[in-house]
Amino acid sequence: MTAERRPLSRTALAWMMVGEWRAHPGRVATAALAIAIGVALGFAVHLINGSAQNELAQAVRTVNADADLQVHSSTPLGFDEGLYPSLARAPGIAAASPVVELRARFGVGPSQSLEGGGLTLLGIDPLRAAAVTPTLLGRGAVRAAEGAGGFVPESVFDPRAIALSPAALAASGRKVGETVTLTAAGRTVTFGVAGVLSQASSEQQIAVIDIATAQWLFGSLGRLQRIDLKFAPGADPQAVQAALRARLPADAQIVTAQSEARRGDNLTKAYRVNLEMLALMALLTGGFLVYSAQSLSVARRRPQFALLRVLGLERRGLLAQVFVEGALVGGVGAVLGLALGLGVAVGTLKFLGGDLGGGYFRGTTPDLVITPLPALIFFVLGLAAALIGSLLPAMEAARAQPGIALKDIGDRNDPDARPAAWWGVGLLAAGTLAAFLPAIGGLPLFGYLSIGLMLAGGVAAMPWLARVLLSPLRGPARRVLVLDLAIQRLWGAPAQAAVALCGIVASTSLMVAMAVMVASLRGSVDDWLNDILPSDLLFRVESGGFDPALRAKLAAAPGVDAVLFQKTLPVRLSPDMPPLILLVRPVDRDQPADKLPMIGAVAQAPAGVTPVWLSEPAARLYGRKVGERMILPLGGGSSQVFIGGIWRDYARQAGAIAMDGADYTRLTGDDLRTEASLDLAPGVTPAQATRTLRALLPAPLAAQVQFFETRQMRALALRLFDSSFALTYALEAIAIVVGLAGVAATFSAQTLARTKEFGMLRHVGVLRRQVMAMLAAEGALLGAVGVIAGLGLGLAMSQVLIHVVNPQSFHWTMETRLPLGLFASLAVALVAAGAGTAVLAGRRALSGDAVRAVREDW
Amino acid sequence: MSASSPVLSLTALRKSVPGGRVLFEGLDLQVAPGEIVAVMGESGVGKSTLLNLIAGLDQADGGQVAIDGTALQSLDDDGRTRLRRDRIGFVFQAFHLLPHLTLAQNVALPLVLQSVEAGEATRRATALLDAIGLTRRANDRPAQLSGGELQRVALARALVHRPALVLADEPTGNLDPETAARILDLFVAQVRGFGAAAILVTHSERAAAVADRSLTLTREGLVAHHDG
Amino acid sequence: MARRLKRVGLALLAALLMAAAPDAPVMPVFPPVRPDQALRFPADHGAHPDYRTEWWYVTGWLKTQDGRDLGFQVTFFRSRLSVDQRNPSAFAPKQILFAHAGLSDPKLGKLLHDGRMARQGLGLAQAKVGDADIVIDDWRLARGPDNRFQARAKAADFTLDLAFAPSQPVLLQGDRGFSRKGPLPSQASHYYSLPHLKVSGSVIQGGRRVKVTGEAWLDHEWSSTLLDPKAVGWDWVGLNLDDGGALTAFRVRDAAGQTVWAGGSLRAADGSTAHLGPGDVSFGTERVWRSPRTGGRYPVQRELVVRTPTGERRWRLTPLFEDQELDSRRTGGPVYWEGAVRAPGARGYLELTGYVSPLKM
Repeated sequence: MTAERRPLSRTALAWMMVGEWRAHPGRVATAALAIAIGVALGFAVHLINGSAQNELAQAVRTVNADADLQVHSSTPLGFDEGLYPSLARAPGIAAASPVVELRARFGVGPSQSLEGGGLTLLGIDPLRAAAVTPTLLGRGAVRAAEGAGGFVPESVFDPRAIALSPAALAASGRKVGETVTLTAAGRTVTFGVAGVLSQASSEQQIAVIDIATAQWLFGSLGRLQRIDLKFAPGADPQAVQAALRARLPADAQIVTAQSEARRGDNLTKAYRVNLEMLALMALLTGGFLVYSAQSLSVARRRPQFALLRVLGLERRGLLAQVFVEGALVGGVGAVLGLALGLGVAVGTLKFLGGDLGGGYFRGTTPDLVITPLPALIFFVLGLAAALIGSLLPAMEAARAQPGIALKDIGDRNDPDARPAAWWGVGLLAAGTLAAFLPAIGGLPLFGYLSIGLMLAGGVAAMPWLARVLLSPLRGPARRVLVLDLAIQRLWGAPAQAAVALCGIVASTSLMVAMAVMVASLRGSVDDWLNDILPSDLLFRVESGGFDPALRAKLAAAPGVDAVLFQKTLPVRLSPDMPPLILLVRPVDRDQPADKLPMIGAVAQAPAGVTPVWLSEPAARLYGRKVGERMILPLGGGSSQVFIGGIWRDYARQAGAIAMDGADYTRLTGDDLRTEASLDLAPGVTPAQATRTLRALLPAPLAAQVQFFETRQMRALALRLFDSSFALTYALEAIAIVVGLAGVAATFSAQTLARTKEFGMLRHVGVLRRQVMAMLAAEGALLGAVGVIAGLGLGLAMSQVLIHVVNPQSFHWTMETRLPLGLFASLAVALVAAGAGTAVLAGRRALSGDAVRAVREDW
Repeated sequence: MSASSPVLSLTALRKSVPGGRVLFEGLDLQVAPGEIVAVMGESGVGKSTLLNLIAGLDQADGGQVAIDGTALQSLDDDGRTRLRRDRIGFVFQAFHLLPHLTLAQNVALPLVLQSVEAGEATRRATALLDAIGLTRRANDRPAQLSGGELQRVALARALVHRPALVLADEPTGNLDPETAARILDLFVAQVRGFGAAAILVTHSERAAAVADRSLTLTREGLVAHHDG
Repeated sequence: MARRLKRVGLALLAALLMAAAPDAPVMPVFPPVRPDQALRFPADHGAHPDYRTEWWYVTGWLKTQDGRDLGFQVTFFRSRLSVDQRNPSAFAPKQILFAHAGLSDPKLGKLLHDGRMARQGLGLAQAKVGDADIVIDDWRLARGPDNRFQARAKAADFTLDLAFAPSQPVLLQGDRGFSRKGPLPSQASHYYSLPHLKVSGSVIQGGRRVKVTGEAWLDHEWSSTLLDPKAVGWDWVGLNLDDGGALTAFRVRDAAGQTVWAGGSLRAADGSTAHLGPGDVSFGTERVWRSPRTGGRYPVQRELVVRTPTGERRWRLTPLFEDQELDSRRTGGPVYWEGAVRAPGARGYLELTGYVSPLKM
């Protein structure tokens, strides 16, 4: 060999890159920005989720304090307090602390919001809590016990003393030493603020009072909601749990700190994963845009690369050249994206809260939790998207024969080469198959894989599809020269068209898929609201309730046509799952569809067995089918019930069980109802009816009852729906804007690359405006092809979202609805954007010297 | 012909185009160090293809190309690329200067590809530009130059790394006759000055006249050229 | 997302119908102790829950198998709180029980102690009426059918598992069990003692169970108004005399250290008892020990002078060791000194309260 191996020339690399970037800074910036936006979205969503999760875990820890183990009641009714001495004496238990746990709020009367109070009221025995959950002792109480001369510090047992967490103290607007009024379980009591729970999570509202006061004044005599336990030193937790389980009644369950955290995690996991996936999709779109930008840049510079090859640059060197360019663009974009994502996360946490408007963590503003690893992962993802986007063009550039490429007139295409379809079709087929695979760990991972594969397949099939779509237009020459030229060019250069199209198709199809899914869900929710809120007026009381006599009186009130009383209460079937909702209302066991929006078959319960009807999420979460039997912990015992059918429900994601009121009263002895919906007689206004009914209510109850007009409720529900999808809309809009920016960049790059071609056309006598018209036609055609492909692909992906992702993560189904108006405006926008950017770029391309353009090789 | 070993040796070379038409076969050529050979012929006869074969940018269907005694067929693509980088210089009809690099950077490219340090490479390139009459133009960009000036820069780039063989493909094809004549003189002077051999593909009788040998490419190979 | 709808029309709490919160609390009435109330046994071994304060105090000297001396105390307290008597909750803190246990081992040079405290109820904490049986979780003091008292206290650093067999009749303090504690007749308690209890059982220390024997003393006392407002604490001593006699002496102090009230008894082996009044008891201080933990200055070595109808008698009380301070604030008690003491021909326990801050009952 005459030449020894030398390292790749770094100087050549730098000269080439700096030169290119100086010549086309806008294009480089667009590609970097696409990556930045993708990374920013992903990182921001991740940060927010992480912070929210951390807050959730912290909240769980504070309410649970430091207990090793807890026993929780499966419903707010609690379990018999006799369990407490039984567990306290159990082997392996060093200490047990009984707890009454209630939802409460400050002030008197019904809460002003639909959402009820956000305060957790705990009744504890400080003597027991001191050994198990010392964080629940107020600072004041501890100090009172420290007088060296005292015997029993009576202040510890002060029945009207309350200790508040810092957040609760702030919410109450009081100071230590002042009094505060609290309403829980329908009773209002005034306490003296005796201390602060200084170790409580900063955002959580907790109030602690004496357990005896809690039982007596808030109607919980003989009942406990919780027992906190501490293991004896050296006890085997598994063995202790097993021993405890044997002592538990059906309406109590063992909850460990882990299962509690898991429960909170389960609640929001699907929501969080969906958002992260959406963010990753945005990153993927960014990857496609980098691919577009890089492959155009490579195509344009093919002769330059050929020259370098001729002058002695090895293939490896050329690959490295394109790759390093991609890496720099990706790296800069990813760093920018991390900074942007951090900013977005801070802003979002501040203004929307930790659930991005999803409503999961009420009233908390979590602190931002930043860990280096996720930042690194998102940086790598951004870099990878850019590198993969650069890989194909780089390989193509290295493979080219430099001798031929050098003479190439910039825009190489062989109209007779038939683009292959199998690659794209294969990916689409794989995507379709993936849609049929089950969820993994409650997450629709294969559903997302399916969408990703479909996206890749759709983009890969674009050259072929573009030609198929344009073929009918080809035919015999038309009289319109510019249109013929435009069609010939697009038809003859499908790969180039595909490059321009892949960004547009990726973003359009994602947007269409999301839009169809959201429209379908919204339509189904609207229908469902009509089903469950058919009446004119609702009223409810947060605690206490309407007894049978009062109900009869209310039903007979003038102006009331019909009234349906119901009650809802949470029931815990499994310690690892969030409680589901027991919906108690009159349901005819033969005709459940009269009162519930049933879906699918209905089964008749055998005589003597209580029928229940599961909501769709409940059936999916617990894997129950119509006709099966299940155990329901109710009223101190457990009852075997029969599943009579499944009904549609979008409100209670953790699931709901409907039961006839008579059955419920028989099983629990509880004959109070807390909600009612009224049909009004013709001519009676909701305001009139409200006045009439309020007058009928006994005084203490009347103060607690809230009235709602159904119309307002429905509007409110849909408003909540829209606000919770606000972030989804925002992500979509960003994807579209990035897509359009990519399209504009691509079009202008392609147009500029064809300056010589336009020069030639001008030479042979084509008018300037004819060239512009040709470009506009090309742009519009490309936009149209993009719309058609994007719509088709998006519709396919929307079906995966509707029939795979939603049922697997939220356990509900819906009927497909197409937002045709949105499709139409999207089509117009894309065609116009295609034509517009092509024309704009064309003006620049035509402004130069045509003669010179022909003579110049690049 | 010199007695020393040839810079370039073509033996029984055969090449056809993808359609199957044979461009030439049984082509033999020996070029001695410092010798300038003109190759003429009709359009489409394969003159540029011959240059690509010599440069290792294209593969012959048969026969052998050897540079400094090394057979190109024995090398892989990287090996041929390195041989090209170190031993061969190119001048093209269309100049092929990179628009975003300065003249000095364009000229320095072959050195830079040999991993010569950037400052040293541009210094040598600037010196060469001075020598061929482009004094103080080193930091201009190609867009500011006329065709004749562009080809001077290209010539400088072909010689800056002191190749053994310069391949020139119609170097005056894009120039007016007066400029063409000046460039041709410069070309011969510089190639001889650097002691390189050269193959000059040209249509121009005037160009052929400056060569040591003048050959015509036909289907049967290279034959000695005779005026008229 | 749509899950927010859950809160629409969702009322979280179920409720049981309960009487509305009371307007005026009903506070406990604490009966005074009266001199005409004769004590009856075994009923008066049990709890007297109407009174504000009550305790069962067992102190004594133990001898291990290898002949070492140990001091111990096991005390159960009952306290009736001023809370609304109408609260029907099983957790209503009407009665609070707490207990202390201490072990004085000269090898360690400091007192080991631990405690328990709980509100009475649900069978976990209970002071029985009718006979001695006080339980707080796994701690218990109870009288068995054989008239023996059993005490079991599992502390962090030791476990006491002891039986006490009475060898003498009940010693009624004061006027047939009515023991005055201050200048006002109402400042008094019902008070009896069981001296010369024969101890058997074991002490677990450092994981080792050691059989012990010894002699102990039980005090059982209940009252509603014990101390004079001027009083800040008291000194008390109970000595089992080697000849079978039993000496009880106490004095209540004011902030200046002056005696507000004093009393006690000296029962001879033959059962004849001399009751001591305020002028009959004097505690001289021979040595003061300062607690490094609390700064309390305790007169731990005493010159005790008792005037009896048969003449004056003196005992020099020397502690088993100095640091027998007991800080029971974590389990509802005061900081005090409760230590094994000996005197020529006698062994017993000395109690010094109110030396860190005034005692509040």
